[in-house]
Formats: sequence, structure tokens, C-alpha cells
Amino acid sequence: MGVIELHGLRKEYRRIRGGRTVAVDGLDLEVPDGGVFGFLGPNGAGKTTTIRCVLGLVRPNAGSLMLLGADVSGGLASVIGKVGSIVEQPALFPRFTGRRNLEILGRIHRVARSTIDDVLERVRLSERADDPVRTYSLGMKQRLGIAAALLKDPSVLLLDEPANGLDPAGIVEVRELIRSLGAEGRTVFVSSHILSEVQQTADQVAIIARGRLVKAGPVNEVLAAGRARGLVVRLADLPAGARVLADAQIPAVVAGDTLSVELPPDQAERVTRVLAAKDLYVSELRPQEVDLETVFLELTKDEGLGP
Amino acid sequence: MMLVGGVLLIVVAMVIAGAHSHRPTQADIDTAQARFQKQFASCMQGRVLGPGAQLPPGYTSLDQFCADEAAPNVDTALQFRDVALVIEHTSTFVVLLGVALAASLGGADWSAGTMTTLLTWEPRRIRVLLIRAIVVALVVALVTLFLQGVLLGAFSLAVALRGTSLGAPPGLVGTAVRTALRVSTVAAGFALVALSVATIGRSTVAALGVLFGYLVLFEGVIAGFRPSIQDRLLVRAGGVIVSQQPIYDQSHESFSSLGPLSSPPVLLGLTEAWVVAAAYVAVLMVVALLVFRARDVN
Repeated sequence: MGVIELHGLRKEYRRIRGGRTVAVDGLDLEVPDGGVFGFLGPNGAGKTTTIRCVLGLVRPNAGSLMLLGADVSGGLASVIGKVGSIVEQPALFPRFTGRRNLEILGRIHRVARSTIDDVLERVRLSERADDPVRTYSLGMKQRLGIAAALLKDPSVLLLDEPANGLDPAGIVEVRELIRSLGAEGRTVFVSSHILSEVQQTADQVAIIARGRLVKAGPVNEVLAAGRARGLVVRLADLPAGARVLADAQIPAVVAGDTLSVELPPDQAERVTRVLAAKDLYVSELRPQEVDLETVFLELTKDEGLGP
Repeated sequence: MMLVGGVLLIVVAMVIAGAHSHRPTQADIDTAQARFQKQFASCMQGRVLGPGAQLPPGYTSLDQFCADEAAPNVDTALQFRDVALVIEHTSTFVVLLGVALAASLGGADWSAGTMTTLLTWEPRRIRVLLIRAIVVALVVALVTLFLQGVLLGAFSLAVALRGTSLGAPPGLVGTAVRTALRVSTVAAGFALVALSVATIGRSTVAALGVLFGYLVLFEGVIAGFRPSIQDRLLVRAGGVIVSQQPIYDQSHESFSSLGPLSSPPVLLGLTEAWVVAAAYVAVLMVVALLVFRARDVN
């Protein structure tokens, strides 16, 4: 049984000028216990709406929703103490200090003061804990939001776009934090539209587009579903190789110490033949690495759901 | 901020009142006492009410009525005997302060987005709103009580320095405190109305706009054109609770300048005023609960 289970989840929003927008369209999803689960999709794919449904903030029009074995529509209160979350930007009181914000939230579940110190330490905010939140950078607010989510010592964390707006250093920090939380046996459900980011942290992923599930499974399996769109070629004289391939109508550019060739992998023998005809011999030839972005674009194209 | 502003306003008002007041001399007091004795005697002979007239509502004896009507008065000095009236006449501002405070408290979580955070910690929305209602009512009651306490203290100080306690009846402080308690109770009730509207509209500004529009324009205008529906209006009910004076149907009887010549029918009595105010609070709270429970939080 999954920690989060969605079956046929559907959510429509009424438009002000009439009509309806379908945000989530019959979504089925099962998030296993433990580890980092990446929830991917372009902006407007329905990620945030799905998370809001899981947290009981938004009522779905159809479908069932289970969180830690409890039906969200009636039993959410019994499990909410084990669920930490950030939905979009963490909402905090800007005039209060970081510590005070956590104390206010902590009172709801009678969280000990020592826990507040621990989570502040964990997100590396101890030194700025007594400064007003309005003086925090975006990254610090995001980390304070994660600290708030950790206050309940949750077994499930739902993080909606946690790297949004962060600088590279902040992204690395949040990535490491998510990895360590997943490694502790917690289930970390991370939504993002930054596919490379999720690829580096997630054990399992689900890709959605236009409110529908496109693909789900372990990262390696999902990556295997993608087809490489080019070849990596290594040879001694890279500029000469690029020129020869271009003469044969095969687009190729020098990329570091290899050539990046825009040709499907199943046509690799054309490359070797063209180069060998000009006495240029390949020392390495392999398909380009498939990343989630490639897979995502391919899958959504195949499904007619692409952005 | 509101608390500090309120205290400053009271201090400034009392400084101005004190500056315009002159401590009465013994001659002023003697003159006032003599005038009082004369007016009291005249009142007791029935010259104020008129022949055959009944006592105005709220009075049980002519003595009591005449003591109020003909209290010793020094025009140029602050008099401590007016303290309950000061509390009563500032009640509009105190209640409006409570409304503004409750609308701010009710709307702040929506405008700051902290309602989303709150509901991810406590998803039982009815419980959330009821606890917020209790907190808001208590905060408003305490803040308004504190401000009225400051007003009472500042007024007493101004009287001690620049006024007189001439003609202050026994138990006056108790009367003033009871008035202040009623004002704070009404302020807390209006605060619940404001919280409900802020919850339905999810905004402080919307709540203030709707409330001032309704209370000032709608109730004011409607009551002006249709006096017979005054028994169903929230502002009127609040006024009756604070002043402890029922509203009479003035269309039935002619009034003298000092009160009714005979007992007119009561349009809005004390009990009815409490019922009307409670009905407004209850209906709006129920609507707010239903809306808060049903609507998505995006």
C-alpha cells in the first residue's frame, strides 16, 4: 500500500466568464513508503492542485485520495500530524522572527522548544533565527518553510517546487536536505518543473501533463522509456570530423572533447562509414545520455500532451 | 498599533478637555448648588414633566428622575458625574475600533497566505474558525476594556486636576464600569460579525467596506426612511444594549422635550436588542462556517 494513493482524481475550476478548466483529469498515482518521489510536469500541469487536494485544501470533483491510509475527505485530521508540507511559497508572518513563526505553528501540535532549535539547525538558520522574516532572502524563507514542515517530525513531506527562486547555492542546499530526508526513511514528495533537479534527488518519479499521468516508476525505468536523440562521437581530429559529417548532411558540433551528432542512435553506422571514408577513425561512439527532460518531452509528445 | 493609537487619542482628547476646563471656585459651586435646589424643587412639583405625565422609561420614582434632570451643573468645568455618559458616548468609536481590529485579524491570514499553512496543521476547518472567533472576541473585548479603562483613568485625572466631582451620585464608578462592560460586549459581538464577513470575503478591506457600507449607509438610510424596522437593525440593538434605553415607537405618541407624555409602545426593548444582536452574530457565523468549510483554499 502506498503512502499517498490517488485514484481517478479530478478537479475542475469554474472560470469567471463561464466554462470550466480541468486542472487534474482522472489522475491515478501511488507513492511508495520512503525515499524521494519526484512529481514532474510543466507549469499548469496540475501539480500544485494535486498537492492541495492531498492536503485537503482543495476538494476534488471526483476520485479517491488516501494519505497514510486515511481517507483525505474525512480522516485527514488523524494523520496530519505526520505530514509536513510547503505549498508554493511558504507563507510566514514577515514581521515576526523565524523562531517566532515556528513557535506559533509549533503550538498547534505542542512542539517542544528544543525541536524548534533542532530544525533551525538542520536548515542552517540558527544564526538568523531571531531576525524578522522580512529581512530573509528568498532561499532563507524557503529553508524556514522546510523547517516549519519538519517541526512535526513528519513521515511524509510534501514539497511544492522547493527550489523555486533559489540561487544555485540555495538549490544545492535544498537538494542535499531533500536527499538526507529521503535517506532517513521519510517519504519526500517533491513537485517540480525543473527536471534535472528532480533527476538528481528522486528515487521514483511520476510525470504528469494537463492533469493526466504520463509515466511513473523508478527513475531508471522512466529514463529507459526515453530514446536518445543524438550520438556522442570521440575521435582525434574533432574539427575535421565535424566538417566531414556536415558535408554528408549530418549535423555535428564540437562539444568539449567529443562531437555531438544529431542523428538517431539507430543510424550510428552512417557516422562510422562517413568518417572512415575520410580516414577519420572513431575511438568512442555512444548514444547521448537520456535525461528526464528528454524523456518528458518525448513522452508528452507521444501522448499529444506536450506544452 | 491600534492600541497605541487609541491610548494616544484618549490622552490628547483629555488634555484638550482639561485645557478647556476651569476648576470651579467655591462661589461657582454655591451658585450651582442653589440652582440645583431650585430646579429639583420645581421638578418635584411636576413642573418639568407636565401635569398628568408618566415617568419616562427607566425611572421608577420622581425623585430619581429629578435627581438626574436637575443635577448641579458647572458649565465651565469637567464634572465627574458625566463619566458614565462619556463612556456611553464614545462607545461608537470603541465598537468601530473592535470592528476594524476583528476585520484585520480575520483578513490578515488570507492576505498573507498563512491560512494555507494553518490548514496544513489543523485541517478541521470548523474548529479553526470557532477558535479564531473565540480569540477575536476575547482580544476585542480585552482591548476595548483596556481603552475604556484608560479613558476612565484619564477622565478622572483631568477632573481631579481641572474639574469637580460636584453632584456625583454614589455608585457612579460602578455604573461607568457596567457601561464599559456592555460596550465591550457589544464590541465583541460586532467583532464576530466583522470576522464572519472577513472570512466570507477573505479580505480585511472587503470586510471593512461591506460592514461600513451596511452599518452606516444601509442601516442609517433604511432606518431613516422606515423607522418601523428599527427593531431588526444591528446598530440600533447595539445602542439599546449600551444605553439600556429601549427604543420607543415615536409615531404612536407625542413627546415633550424631556420624554413621553404617556407610555408609548416599545419598538426595541432590552431583551429584544440582545436577541437581535445575537441573531446577527449567529447567522453570520453560520454562513461564514459553511463558506469556509466548502470553499477551496488556493
